[in-house]
Amino acid sequence: MYLGFSLTPFGHHPAAWRGAAEIANLGFEALLAQVARAEQAGLDFVLLSDRLGARPVDDLSPVATPFEPTTLVAALATRARRIGFLAAAATHQHEPYNLARRFASLESISNGRTGWVAVTTGNGEDRDREYVDLVGALWDSWEDDAFIYDKEKGRFFQPDKMHVLNHKGEHFSVRGPLNVSRSPQGKPVLAQVLTDENRALAAHAAEIVFLQSSSPTGAEEAASDFIRSLEAADRRRDARILANLVPFIAATQTEAQALHDALQAVEDISKQPLSGAILIGTPIAIADSLQQWLEAGQIDGFAILPPTLGMADLFLAEVAPELQRRGLIGRTKAGSTLRDYLNLPRPAYPAATWERAS
Amino acid sequence: MSGDRKMRLGAFLMAGGHHIAAWRHPLAHAQAGVDIDHFVALARIAERGKFDMIFVEDAAAIRERNSDMASQAARSTAFEPLSLLAALAVNTSHIGLVATASTTYNEPYGLARSFASLDQLSGGRAGWNLVTSASELEAENFASSGLRPHSERYERAEEFADAALAIWDGVEDGAYLPPGGADFTDRAKLHPVHHRGKHFAVEGLLESPCSPQGRPIMVQAGASDVGKELAARTADVVFAASQTIDEAKAYYSDVKARLAKYGRQIDDIKIMPGISPIVGATEAEAKAKYRALQELIPDAVGVALLASYLSIQDLSSYPLDGPLPDMPETNLIQSRQQLIIDLGRRENLSIRELARHFAGARGHWQVAGTPAQIADAMEERFSAGAADGFNVMAPIFPSGLEDFVTLVVPELRRRGLFREAYEGRTLRQNLGVGVPAKR
Repeated sequence: MYLGFSLTPFGHHPAAWRGAAEIANLGFEALLAQVARAEQAGLDFVLLSDRLGARPVDDLSPVATPFEPTTLVAALATRARRIGFLAAAATHQHEPYNLARRFASLESISNGRTGWVAVTTGNGEDRDREYVDLVGALWDSWEDDAFIYDKEKGRFFQPDKMHVLNHKGEHFSVRGPLNVSRSPQGKPVLAQVLTDENRALAAHAAEIVFLQSSSPTGAEEAASDFIRSLEAADRRRDARILANLVPFIAATQTEAQALHDALQAVEDISKQPLSGAILIGTPIAIADSLQQWLEAGQIDGFAILPPTLGMADLFLAEVAPELQRRGLIGRTKAGSTLRDYLNLPRPAYPAATWERAS
Repeated sequence: MSGDRKMRLGAFLMAGGHHIAAWRHPLAHAQAGVDIDHFVALARIAERGKFDMIFVEDAAAIRERNSDMASQAARSTAFEPLSLLAALAVNTSHIGLVATASTTYNEPYGLARSFASLDQLSGGRAGWNLVTSASELEAENFASSGLRPHSERYERAEEFADAALAIWDGVEDGAYLPPGGADFTDRAKLHPVHHRGKHFAVEGLLESPCSPQGRPIMVQAGASDVGKELAARTADVVFAASQTIDEAKAYYSDVKARLAKYGRQIDDIKIMPGISPIVGATEAEAKAKYRALQELIPDAVGVALLASYLSIQDLSSYPLDGPLPDMPETNLIQSRQQLIIDLGRRENLSIRELARHFAGARGHWQVAGTPAQIADAMEERFSAGAADGFNVMAPIFPSGLEDFVTLVVPELRRRGLFREAYEGRTLRQNLGVGVPAKR
């Protein structure tokens, strides 16, 4: 079972900040403490979503962190060295070269533990596809062994292992190469939050998809649909399908239900629906539900969207160790990259597809 | 000059060193460009020396079109500056963090947002070195339209700077309310930007508290007339490349004289020329260090670099031991080009000599000598109205920076020219530039 932890200052529930809105929670050290607990609990990655990636806002949000996600990953990665980071960034807010470069830089900073959650507009399928393919090609600007650092001969890299892209597409024109060497894990991991609009693109390129369905049944249907889309795109079952999960956790089932009801009563959450399946129960009951779901269904794991920080702590301190005891989480092979954590293959260098350097 | 005026120091970081051949030196760490632990170590050396800031330059492209030439220099793989400095921010406590970013290949909202994040991560130590990007290789990574003319780039930069400042000023201090109340924010302290200009449309607000230093520091290195004007209007710090003390004085008084018309005081801008110091225990040792580095420069690399500073395609068809050919004026980095041409004529230098000279410190002022000699040279310019401080470009990392901190900084302190301890926690406090009025 693969597990990610979605990072917010107070919790994912829009009412979670009430009574808890210490401004220190917005700061780096408080966020790092959450990441350190997730790392300690053996989770595979932290997920940094981006409300501003969808559109700029005119009020401050209690659900958003005050940091641009890729910038925050750079800071977190040097202080938490055994967990991956997936950061959202929108294709309509960054030039492809800048975005490819930012993530390549994060790969160097984290030693290969990052991924890009590609936020696409949905109304520009062709543009999004060209964008995602172009970014992937920029990440292949250098072969894995291009840089040789030969002081004696004065040769820093092997010129024939640098590849100029000369991309001229319908939407973008980019010469390349990227001015960052190839990632320690080949390329950053590409992820998408699955929607009706981006299913074809996700089936073409995504290595992780997040399902936002509000119930396990809905998530299973979405997983089956996506697997059919993968097959239609001639891909093996080689993407990680993760269901977003909003676990309301307390020591007793009654208490968990009461906390859920109290939060839901605070404000009209139909304006800001929770983007995952809701589970309500004790730590053991939640672990049972996750195990049953994993064993019976098509999904590979979960992105945990804790409704409050208290419930985040309960998940990490009680649910995750229970999953560990049952042998459901825990890394099966050695390695220190996000691909290693997720058992995703390292992409081979696509030598055959390149024009030679001009 | 007042007796307690202190010098500002920046540590200009660059992979294995500023010297073009530094990576080949036995002491150099050749993989430095993308080694985060190397950069954390450099930032901590500079912080131990109580430098005001570290600084990183930027180009959104490789630096050399010819791949054989590019492959002989260490500049084709590097960190993107904002992500690098975000990582350094949480591994340091007092030093300022200044990243270069282009107004030509970014949008105001996204860039202002990344700098606001860096500012929050560092507790108010972020600065933005605004550049307009003059290289064709960069232009080719962002469109088929080619490089924009100098004047158009600056027009866009002016509007970009104003939009970024408005975005940073959009959230007042205290906009996030204390716990226990009915509201998360105080809407009276939020000022969403609704900007529609010639180059940009900007809507909305940063989801970030007000900057701990009021606003990130603005840095400029423009040396053209329009660049100096933008600096006088918006910058807190100006970097400059001046070879001689007379050039430095002329530049200094020119920029300072422009401040009054924007209602600013002389001390509101700190002018910090680059210096490439080669420190030795004796003068002979320093000169030997310099020669050892110079001998590692392949002629082809030096000449290609010189050509790129002159913004011309190729110099290799001219005799290496002859003078520079006559140059047409371009719309590129006009001031840097003139500086090179002037030096060549003044000192009667051949292409090879100029190439070696510029390859060493890329057009900046080089001083090789003992700690006292380097301090003398810095003090002379500092006292003569040529500099408020210096951007220190160690020829080789980490040893060149370590030498400066261990040997030259104590000498500057003995003379009362440099701080013993940081004055504050934000870059603005340490630089001694006031918090600007909100717009």
